[in-house]
Amino acid sequence: MDPSRAAASTASSGRPRDGVGPPPDFPAGLRVLVVDDDPTCLKILDRMLRKCLYDVTTCTRAAAALAMLRERRGAFDVVLSDVYMPDMDGFKLLEHIGLEMDLPVIMMSADDGRDVVMKGVTHGACDYLIKPVRMEALRNIWQHVVRKRRNELKELEHSGSAEENDRQKRALEDGDNASSASEGNWKNVKRRKDGKEEEEVEEREDPSTLKKPRVVWSVDLHQQFVAAVNQLGVDKAVPKKILELMKVPRLTRENVASHLQKYRLYLRRLSVPQHEARLDTPYTGASEATFRSVGSFDGLDTQALAVSGQFPPQSLTTLHSGPRRVTTTGIGLPSIDQVGFFNSSAQMANASNIRPAMMQQMNNKQLNFLSGPSTNMESGQHGQSQQLVESYGNMGLRVGEGASGFFNLPSSQRTSTSFPGGTINVNLSNSLPMQMTQQGQQFSVCQQQNRIHISMPRQLQTREQLLNEILGEYDSRLSTPMGHQILSNEVSGHVSGRGRSNMNVRTSLREGYMNASSYGPLSHALYADFSNSGMNESTGSCYPLASGAGTTNFTSIGMLQEALPPVGNVETLGNSVSVKGANDFVPDYDLLSDVRQSKSQDWKSQNIDVSYQSAQQLGSKQSNIDFGSSRLAHEDSIAAIKDDKSRNACTVRKEIFSVRTEIEHEKGDCTAQRNGTILVENSLRVMAEGMSDLSYQEVLFDDNIIQNELMNVVGKKQQEGVGQVDPEFNFDGYSWDDIQV
Amino acid sequence: MEHSSSQSQVAYMKKSLVDQGYLDEQFYQLEELQDEASPNFVEEVVTLFFSDSSRLVASIEQALEKSPQDFHRLDSIMHQLKDSTLSIGALRVKNECTRFREYCDEEDLQGCQGSFQKVKREHAILKQKLEAYFQLLRQIGPAGATRPGN
Repeated sequence: MDPSRAAASTASSGRPRDGVGPPPDFPAGLRVLVVDDDPTCLKILDRMLRKCLYDVTTCTRAAAALAMLRERRGAFDVVLSDVYMPDMDGFKLLEHIGLEMDLPVIMMSADDGRDVVMKGVTHGACDYLIKPVRMEALRNIWQHVVRKRRNELKELEHSGSAEENDRQKRALEDGDNASSASEGNWKNVKRRKDGKEEEEVEEREDPSTLKKPRVVWSVDLHQQFVAAVNQLGVDKAVPKKILELMKVPRLTRENVASHLQKYRLYLRRLSVPQHEARLDTPYTGASEATFRSVGSFDGLDTQALAVSGQFPPQSLTTLHSGPRRVTTTGIGLPSIDQVGFFNSSAQMANASNIRPAMMQQMNNKQLNFLSGPSTNMESGQHGQSQQLVESYGNMGLRVGEGASGFFNLPSSQRTSTSFPGGTINVNLSNSLPMQMTQQGQQFSVCQQQNRIHISMPRQLQTREQLLNEILGEYDSRLSTPMGHQILSNEVSGHVSGRGRSNMNVRTSLREGYMNASSYGPLSHALYADFSNSGMNESTGSCYPLASGAGTTNFTSIGMLQEALPPVGNVETLGNSVSVKGANDFVPDYDLLSDVRQSKSQDWKSQNIDVSYQSAQQLGSKQSNIDFGSSRLAHEDSIAAIKDDKSRNACTVRKEIFSVRTEIEHEKGDCTAQRNGTILVENSLRVMAEGMSDLSYQEVLFDDNIIQNELMNVVGKKQQEGVGQVDPEFNFDGYSWDDIQV
Repeated sequence: MEHSSSQSQVAYMKKSLVDQGYLDEQFYQLEELQDEASPNFVEEVVTLFFSDSSRLVASIEQALEKSPQDFHRLDSIMHQLKDSTLSIGALRVKNECTRFREYCDEEDLQGCQGSFQKVKREHAILKQKLEAYFQLLRQIGPAGATRPGN
């Protein structure tokens, strides 16, 4: 027997957590993590647990245990920890686990004093065992797992819609195969889950982090929603009626209400003056969402941003200040109104949550956060942000919503700038040039990490997805249809630029994004995403996603596609991009605004599909692409990313971002047009030169122009990038063509 | 025949260890954990225990010699040692550890030192006895070695 694996914690072959259902021999196979500094104790516990037919992983250090838990979220069902440990107090560990992972934790100690036991209870321990621990006590630890899950499910039922429940359940199930005491229960969940969440990537819904189930606003769903809203009249639409019209089972009024709110914000953002708004907002909008998370991360983000030097303060402020819808944290990607919206909101909310998580991650430079936070993102936006954040975490660049993230990526990368979108925007918003430059810089940074999480808000999601995909790690967060659209658009734009580079951004955010903002202007999101994704890869892929909303984006999309091969959506994005969101979007960014409004729906469907799919596919690939920063962000990010690889890319990115941001804002902000034209030119140039042209952004966005140009550029870049990207992104050499959803 | 006598020898030995307080119930638990999959589990654990505890004992010794004494640290090390002893059921050693910690709390250096000596002694005795025990077990061979509650 190989008992104590001190610090090695070898995980026993756990049961596959794919939600296949509780194992018939439950509780056998329960995945237990044991933490105890004493090797003798550890060995004995290990043996005992194995006798109970559990899957045991041992650890002598609390820090290592935490790292393991973070790395492999959902890989454990329960944690057994000693109270007294030299490197970390058991209660502290307990707190951490509770905060981040929400796993049941059982404390052990020889000390059975009332105070100590009380402490265990107050810190949230599920149980307290007195040493020496007997096997009988260990045999029953599975009950805590089951109980916890049931409680969570119940919580879900109360709070969310069935979707959420499903989600949660799914997560739960995934998390704990053996948890469901009742097979039936599990089956239900699974069924629902399958049905509902196909789009979602397997979100890491960590029940621990995200208590609230998140409704995934798929493209279809969003379209239904928009249709209902339009039918009722945007101003007069009330959640209740919308719900009735939609006739979607298991959707709660709350879900609709929150979605409606976001949608409204998104629309408002669309109508903001284009040029300025766009630039500023795009990212803010999108980034908002992402930034939000980023914001939350403030600690992190700003730091990250600060690190980048470029952004943080600006971006953040810009984001905030801008009329841009940066409502969220300014960082949010404006363009991603919706997306950012989600992100922002979620982000904000979650940001805080994420923050801690992210911080950690960011600190760790792991995008784990994404994964982790992704779950957090559940709240939708949050997720996005998270993604962004996460991605950035890795990258530091959380391009997050706005490319802000990207931009922030100042070489430090760490900026884990959660700017999921939001952050990036900041850069952009401030001034395109700045942004661009920043982006450019960031991109360099991005490249470094390539993990820019371009959490593009939903909108960007499509893009993001693409990007994500490109990144290879698309978390498919972009799953949100809206996001997809946006993303696609954006992504297209971005993607082109980004290609892979951006994709580094973990699209994981995408999920968050997409979901959140599925709103129309996905393009923003897309851009953002793309940027992100592209950016990361930037190497070539950074095609200026500027392609903007649809048309232009195609280039990006193309890129994205390349980058996002898995994403598949990316491709669509490209297509969608053109379509982007609402066809309007495609033509110009002007359209974007139009598009937004009308097309948002279109977008959604189009992009969303694309993006989301891509996103989904991307899964976490690099979902970190926080597209959040609405297109601009992306672009920036992309540009940035590209820069990393090639300076050019960055430029492109920037443009993209700028474009994006614009796009994001309004999705259709005319600015896009401007950008589009200019962008096109620039993009081309940018691509070639790197981000030197801010105008690129403009050009980029110009769908028409950009598209073509971008395509060209992108194509080239992509090729370059793709090649480069590969290593970075998990995408395997995306080639636009390859990116097949 | 030999088997049974050896086995009973082992059983007897174990019983006496328990009776004398060197070992407690936990030891039986350990034996129950032993099976075909891990035929030498108990021995492995005990070996591990001694290597770990020897290390701890040495560091306490070192810490005691330092001055001024860091009772906090002493207590901390002893806590670890105590935990170990608990898990294998080394009763006497554990008791001495507890006393040591009490002295630590009072910051009674004398008391600590005296108690520590006892800890060391008990530790050594147990080690000896268990070594003999396992030797006997090995003589018996795998068949008779894993009979818990013999």
